[in-house]
Amino acid sequence: MTTETLANGKTYIHRTSAHCETGVTSALFRDKGLDISEPMVFGIGSGIFFGHLPFIKQTGLPISTFRSIPGLVFKKAAKRLGVTVFRKRFRSPQKGMDELRRVIRTGQIAAVTTNVYWLSFFPRRYRFNFSGHNFIVLYENENGFRISDPALLEYTTDCSTHDMERARFARGPMEPRGLMYYPISVNPNPDIRKACITGMTDSCNQMLKIPIPLFGVKGMRYVAQKVIKWPEKLGYVEACRQLAHILRLQEEMGTGGAGFRYIFAAFLQEAGELFGSTELNDLSNEMTAIGDIWREFAVVSSRIIKHRKTKSEETFEKAGGLMLICAGREEELFKNLRDVVGKLKS
Amino acid sequence: MKVNEVPQDDVPDYTEGWLKKGNYALDDKGKYVMVPSKGWVVDEMINRMAYDEYKVKEEETRKAVLAGQKSPLAYYMELRQMTPEILGKTAGIAAFRVKRHLRPEIFAKLKPHVLDSYAKALDITRKELKTVPPNNNPT
Repeated sequence: MTTETLANGKTYIHRTSAHCETGVTSALFRDKGLDISEPMVFGIGSGIFFGHLPFIKQTGLPISTFRSIPGLVFKKAAKRLGVTVFRKRFRSPQKGMDELRRVIRTGQIAAVTTNVYWLSFFPRRYRFNFSGHNFIVLYENENGFRISDPALLEYTTDCSTHDMERARFARGPMEPRGLMYYPISVNPNPDIRKACITGMTDSCNQMLKIPIPLFGVKGMRYVAQKVIKWPEKLGYVEACRQLAHILRLQEEMGTGGAGFRYIFAAFLQEAGELFGSTELNDLSNEMTAIGDIWREFAVVSSRIIKHRKTKSEETFEKAGGLMLICAGREEELFKNLRDVVGKLKS
Repeated sequence: MKVNEVPQDDVPDYTEGWLKKGNYALDDKGKYVMVPSKGWVVDEMINRMAYDEYKVKEEETRKAVLAGQKSPLAYYMELRQMTPEILGKTAGIAAFRVKRHLRPEIFAKLKPHVLDSYAKALDITRKELKTVPPNNNPT
């Protein structure tokens, strides 16, 4: 944990978080005096999701995401907690940079969405062309900007002006277009119970009710069945490559599969305490168990990929099967959650 | 996941660098707490695979350029992990033109202002854009 002094003399505390956007949102709200934990933000902003996006390609392979669209959690959480926000994209990089400088000079910290490839403070191997990483800009200094990245770095660090501009205005899939956001004012005593209920209902709808078979629980089943068929359809080596891509999106790119299930479980636990509901606590335990299966899926898949030349004892059927189990149990969980939420009073 | 199950595999980028990933895990009393991780071998392997894939492609393109089959633009495009579509958008040049410019004979005839837009988009100088490194860059 490190602290920084901002342009207006206020103190900023850097804390490690599990995910970039929720960590950033929680830090921004805390800076304004609304002390809210990361899992709470995740739950209220309905961050949990599953989507298979064959029309957005990364390195030529379709994206499977385990979270909602970058930027949405902040927007939803802010709305549900009665926070007024500034949130803007820019056409001109010059204007975008000027606006960022103007804001942080007043001592207001601002979050930006960036492309990881251009951020040279990361180790080279972690820099991929992926637009959707969020961090907080604290103040300007001689090297450029002082930034706090709660999800990936242990300490605050410097980011050069050049990197910042390239990263914020990178082109390609999911262009950030200089997206910059911060809360203007917060409601010091928000109705957290009501916000939790809205967040949970929305999560259930996202997972169960989208009538397109690529999203929510249906999307998981769709991908699982594809995984099982891959070795026949694509050949073993290519199937491994595709599986590795899913895994990468699951575990590494901040799109977290298992990790997100644990954050959601932490949220359910916190909500359970808030409402004094043992049912929510039970659901939290179930979510933890589901997270463990996602982790097992990652381990099994990694074994398949590791022994791709010799063909391992683990099979694609097993990996796909684990994913189907996750889908089934998550469907059950969100249905139960929907019933439990219906009984809660705000 | 329990606190003691959070992967702590001492991945060099985590222990030597200051990368840090947080995990939520259950403590002894069954309460969720934040536990920083020192990296996970599964993560590490997947990352390495993806990175190696880029590197292999980059190296193949570099050789193709030296053999006169592709223009240096193709190499720098791979280096920046771009596709003709992304490069086109960044440089303000239509993707079909970018694809044409990947051919060495067409690239050789490009006007300076076109080269400049590519150089700016790829974050290199115009001079660098004309050639590729003669040796493989291991990093």
